[in-house]
Amino acid sequence: MSSPQFAVQALYSSHHGWLHTWLRNRLGNAADAADLAQDTFVRLLQRTERLELKAPRAFLRTIAQGLVIDHWRRAEIERAYLETIAHLPEAQTPGAEAQALILELLEAIARMLEGLKPKVRKAFLLAQCEGLTYKQIAEQMGISLRSVERYVADALYHCYVLRYED
Amino acid sequence: MVKQAIHWLLRLRNHAANPVLRQQCEAWRIAHHDHELAWQRVQSLHSELTSSLRAVPGARTALDTLETSAQRLGRRQALKLLSGIAVVGCAAWLGKDLGWQPWSADFVTATGERRGFQLPDGTRLELNTNSAADLDYTASQRLITLTRGEIMLTCGRDPRRPLLVKSRHGLFEGLEGRFVVRQDHDCTRLSVTSGHVAIRSHVGSDGAPIQVEAGQSYLISASTATLAPPLDMDAGAWADGLIVTRNMRLEDFLNEVGRYRRGYLKCAAPIADLRLSGVFRLEDTDKLLAVLPHTLPVQIHYRTRWWITVERTA
Repeated sequence: MSSPQFAVQALYSSHHGWLHTWLRNRLGNAADAADLAQDTFVRLLQRTERLELKAPRAFLRTIAQGLVIDHWRRAEIERAYLETIAHLPEAQTPGAEAQALILELLEAIARMLEGLKPKVRKAFLLAQCEGLTYKQIAEQMGISLRSVERYVADALYHCYVLRYED
Repeated sequence: MVKQAIHWLLRLRNHAANPVLRQQCEAWRIAHHDHELAWQRVQSLHSELTSSLRAVPGARTALDTLETSAQRLGRRQALKLLSGIAVVGCAAWLGKDLGWQPWSADFVTATGERRGFQLPDGTRLELNTNSAADLDYTASQRLITLTRGEIMLTCGRDPRRPLLVKSRHGLFEGLEGRFVVRQDHDCTRLSVTSGHVAIRSHVGSDGAPIQVEAGQSYLISASTATLAPPLDMDAGAWADGLIVTRNMRLEDFLNEVGRYRRGYLKCAAPIADLRLSGVFRLEDTDKLLAVLPHTLPVQIHYRTRWWITVERTA
């Protein structure tokens, strides 16, 4: 075993149980907790920086916390998506594979939009998804045209920073 | 500079036919190598976002899904921060099972604690001292199960899903307005502050369904639902941090205050029937008790900080 792997192995023995419990409290069930605990250690293996951890639990918790948020995001997107298409007739409902792809897509977009204030996000989505004019958006949201312009620009800037400045 | 690129992109998209604008943009791009780079990046980011969103079939699907999930995610995270207790979630994973999974969460308050929560559908839920409620929102219904204590609900509108509250003794549907459900050991009290609430688990003595109106309270046991006589205490004042009493027996009053405190709080038998009316603040129950001797012929005895008896003035 290479040195980083050895370090991870040591972390695993010492902290896996604790991490699993921590996750179970956050997620509410043992199966998902087990999955995410595994993922946390897999992530660790993928990191290239040296694992000289003075506070291993805090470090693990940070990684796990990110995974928990991803988990919830995925769950909420799926739930909202199923609700949204619930009214569609059988013939128009995408098949399981297509749904899986759509959900992946939506999740990727949701990640980009995370952190946007609700009004900013809404204005942006109305512009991009619905193709409404800014005037129409302003009317629908009850805000000024200038605000709409500002919000859409803010949203794009936010996505830009996420994409290119990391 | 990136912001400038964004500015140009958006302007051009909205005023595509304007050649002057186009020229100005070109000029800006040429002005500096970094401008052009920013432009290219912003362009590709924008078209990527646009095509991703267009790739989701169905009118409004992407918009609704993203908006709804973002709102719920925000609330989920807020709940975790507020209460510090686990928010229990059931979730179906992508790739595992695409069946419907409800979101259930536990809301809990400790002794003396009161909390309010905004639920995903706009309903406001307040928990009184020492209470616990489960949330079970699915595609077809909004169910709140009161497992312990007392809650107040301000109904959020959702024509597709009834707002249901379940206690150990009955099931109620909040039609509109605001109401309080209090679960005691042997019965549940339903008090409507405004609007109407229907009792779904019991029928009236005439066999007809019961609709509770503003100002009314019903006492519901496992077998019966009866209209309560006028209350000696305002059913919902706790949500404003107050106990408001109308000719309430001292013993009952102390039992009520005791819900918000640790320890022992009782009065001597001879004074149990003394009556009091007034408005009392729950914020500081020590102060509340200290004020009693001003209005009633009683003395407060502190055996310890947490063992208090109320006696007749000597």
